[in-house]
Amino acid sequence: MSARHPLVAGVRAGDRRALSRAITLVESRRGDDSEQAAALLAELYPATGRALRVGVTGAPGVGKSTLLDALGMQAVAAGGRVGVLSIDPSSQLRGGSLLGDRVRMARLSSSDAAFIRASPSGGASGGLGPRTREALVLLEAAGFDPIFVESVGVGQGELAVTEVCDLVMVVQIGGAGDEVQGMKRGLLEHADLVVFNKADGPQAAATERAARELASLLEWMRPGQSRVELVSALEGRGIDGLYRALLEERARLTESGELRERRRAQRRSWLSQALEELVIARQSRDPELDRARRELERAVEEGELAPPLAARQLLEPDKASSTSGGA
Amino acid sequence: MTQPDDAETRWRALVQSETRGRFADTARTPAGLEVKALYTAQDLEGVAHLDSVPGEAPFVRGVRATMYATRPWTLRQYAGFSTPEETNAFFRRALKAGQRGLSVAFDLPTHRGYDSDDPRVKGDVGKAGVAVSSVEDMKLVFDGIPLAEVSVSMTMNGAVLPVLAAFIVTAEEQGVGLEQLSGTIQNDILKEFMVRNTFIYPPEPSMRIVADVMELVSQKLPRYNSISISGYHMQEAGASAELELGYTLADGLAYASAGVARGLDPDAVLGTLSFFFGVGLDFFGEIAKLRAARLLWAELVKERFAPKNPRSLSLRTHCQTSGVSLTAQDPLNNVVRTTLEALSAVLGGTQSLHTNAYDEALALPGERSARVARNTQLILQHETGIPKVVDPLAGSYYVERLTHDLAASARQLVLEVEAHGGMTRAIEQRIPQRRIAQAAAERQARIDRSEELVIGVNAFRVPDEPEPELLVVDTARVLEAQSARLARVRKNRDENRVQALLAALEAGARGSENLLTLSIEAMRARATVGEVSLALERAFGRHNEVSMATTGVFSKAYAGDAEWSAVVELLRRVSEREGRQPRILIAKLGQDGHDRGAKVVAAGLSDLGFDVELGPLFQSPEQAARHALESDVHFVGVSTQAGAHLVLVPELLDELRKLGAGGVRVVVGGIISAPDRAALEARGVSAVFGPGAPILEIARQLLELFEGVPEAGSA
Repeated sequence: MSARHPLVAGVRAGDRRALSRAITLVESRRGDDSEQAAALLAELYPATGRALRVGVTGAPGVGKSTLLDALGMQAVAAGGRVGVLSIDPSSQLRGGSLLGDRVRMARLSSSDAAFIRASPSGGASGGLGPRTREALVLLEAAGFDPIFVESVGVGQGELAVTEVCDLVMVVQIGGAGDEVQGMKRGLLEHADLVVFNKADGPQAAATERAARELASLLEWMRPGQSRVELVSALEGRGIDGLYRALLEERARLTESGELRERRRAQRRSWLSQALEELVIARQSRDPELDRARRELERAVEEGELAPPLAARQLLEPDKASSTSGGA
Repeated sequence: MTQPDDAETRWRALVQSETRGRFADTARTPAGLEVKALYTAQDLEGVAHLDSVPGEAPFVRGVRATMYATRPWTLRQYAGFSTPEETNAFFRRALKAGQRGLSVAFDLPTHRGYDSDDPRVKGDVGKAGVAVSSVEDMKLVFDGIPLAEVSVSMTMNGAVLPVLAAFIVTAEEQGVGLEQLSGTIQNDILKEFMVRNTFIYPPEPSMRIVADVMELVSQKLPRYNSISISGYHMQEAGASAELELGYTLADGLAYASAGVARGLDPDAVLGTLSFFFGVGLDFFGEIAKLRAARLLWAELVKERFAPKNPRSLSLRTHCQTSGVSLTAQDPLNNVVRTTLEALSAVLGGTQSLHTNAYDEALALPGERSARVARNTQLILQHETGIPKVVDPLAGSYYVERLTHDLAASARQLVLEVEAHGGMTRAIEQRIPQRRIAQAAAERQARIDRSEELVIGVNAFRVPDEPEPELLVVDTARVLEAQSARLARVRKNRDENRVQALLAALEAGARGSENLLTLSIEAMRARATVGEVSLALERAFGRHNEVSMATTGVFSKAYAGDAEWSAVVELLRRVSEREGRQPRILIAKLGQDGHDRGAKVVAAGLSDLGFDVELGPLFQSPEQAARHALESDVHFVGVSTQAGAHLVLVPELLDELRKLGAGGVRVVVGGIISAPDRAALEARGVSAVFGPGAPILEIARQLLELFEGVPEAGSA
């Protein structure tokens, strides 16, 4: 193991500045930073894995951030130190982003018992950033528990939260029509909790109706496995009940052994992802392989060579030579 | 009917020979209107309002038959700064110098319902208006000014209850009957949620407060307007003429409906509504906008409320020349801009007018610039002969067509809002906010790219211009005087009685009593603006909201631009070296809610490839520093429009240092005078940008603050 990284002590002590710098370090795209990030992780990872991790997802405008503000304050009141990682989309074109979630977390962002970090998705798919897992480890090492992970929230395919969190909470509003229900169906299958927000004002009745309908649908889809909660983040109603439900769900999952299973699966998938990244990084670092890749790229671009065959030629030239004849 | 070789055909033939076909026969005006190069009699086909006369519905030609021929528009300058005493002295001088009505600007703490001595608001006290925390302050503002004779307009929305109550108690104590009071309270909360952001409570209770004010005013203050429905701030926030018109009238319908829903008589409700439009440099467009506003309002009101009194169909309006059209560069040019805008307002038939002072892009108006602004109107009234003829542009092919078209497209917006369930719902869904933010970003991109020229800014710049003399408000002195008076007020009052009245107010807020009536009682017993606001906040909660900037506008406008690509390339090198995108927090500090600049800059920088964090409104320096720390940003960009930067920015620098984040660079943009700029730079601010600084310039300067970035071509 490498020498003790200078940020380790600060992170362990819960120092905001050290934690913030450490997240930047693990998110950095620089090669030398990734060495340091690995050193940091090596020291901090072993003591983690106990904090409650809650994934929060749902379409734009359903009030995820406002809900997190209320729920986070509830957790603070119960003695928790609350971490929030919220992910916003990066522009595909230039890589820039507009990060505005904290704006709706006014109380939590001034609380001494909370830490909020917004991160750009940086081209990663699935609704999270490329280094959300590492950031989670850092937050936990700094003593934050529970930790909420707010996904991008643009719609389909936001399943990445299920790969990094203990529990997944899908936020909905009533009266948004069937399209939302249909669109989110894939996600609903993974939802431990479905929260109907904005059960206030003129929409209150519609929201309640939608919640009832969904509850019976879920009961049919996954008997006894997901709960539906009704809240108004704006008015602060139903928040204590929701927090209690989170804790109960976790207890239930722990008892049944499901939580342990989920975490094992999550660690396996993290390993797969890390391997993929490393292979790609190694390929682009090796000047010979990189040159070979550029040459193959031309054939791939022109449609002369199938991309999977090109990949094999690059990394497994012995095997590839026997199959590439018919390209 | 038109002949085969009608005017337009003959003209087109001439154009062809004059230009050999190189001629675009349509163009886009500064307010975003599509216009043709020539209008003829043919363009009047289908225009239904041509026969109407002034003083008669639909009032397109004016709300009164004689208009300015018998009585010119009211010269009403918006003013207020520093202490109540200083504002009072300013008002008295203005009345002596020919001003006819008063218009009070309050400082931001008052707008947000905080007393001057509240620790949250230091830095903003007395800055962008006068500080008023109790009836005693209000009495000083109007000391020696007969409220039975001078009409008073007050720009107040969030803290409308305690402030209007203080005004009413002041009148009582001057011995003036409520039925004698004339003037207007702005009381337009919808546009606060849309663009101006000086709200206090959530939308629903805020709308109830509006209706409570309407109710009491319509019963007890017959000569007083209970709302000034404002498009001005939409235009300032970047709305096109069409958006300003459509959304303002949609707001008007929402208020009228709220009043009628209270059981008030439609005629009584409609009679207390007045409007307030901005007038920019789109000369004919603005004239047509005011005419179209009257035309469309008359139609909409008739369809929806069927009032008995024909006057209820008339739209009466105040106008103000455009603040965003003013430039910090070569500021005397602003006299010319303001004159043209004033002329538009007059030709459009406004009832009263404020003309901006030429130095307002730099600071609050000084004595001399305020005089020139006033005289601009006096010259129009007395030296030009313009007021002698009613609606002189009627019958102009161009103006009539434009009037018709603007009314038609604004009507579409009104219908769209109604289809979304009315204005409150549309605002919750951020429909108007998004449209306006997009229009603002598009306009800024056009100016940055010199597709629109602004003299002295992106064309014909003056290399070394002399610094104009500016009004400087000594905040520390204002704060001291205000705190001392507040202490006296609290000491001399019957404390038990005040607390009982505040408790009654809170109970009323939870119930359904008229809150203006309860506020008057509390303010009469010398409760303060802050205390009344807090009592209401206990029942309603304090609203926090921000509308997000839109992305993609700048990258679209700059597609293929070499300068843009150069900055993108510089950014790429920076992000390669940093291992991430350059990251900036755009912060609004203190009580200043003007966020057009902040949103435009956020949109532009994120389009270029920055990771941009947009901070919440009303952040304290301490909160902003913590935000910067947790997000590990490279920069904090502070956007300031209200003059509190000399207090708040140094505090931010100190807080950053305290948190060990002294390496974060702080830059400041907005309305900043040269001495302030020097003071900020001396305190460690890395760069200062004036209003309307081009995005590319801002981005380049930020990126150049990174040291040791490799030169181009070393990728």
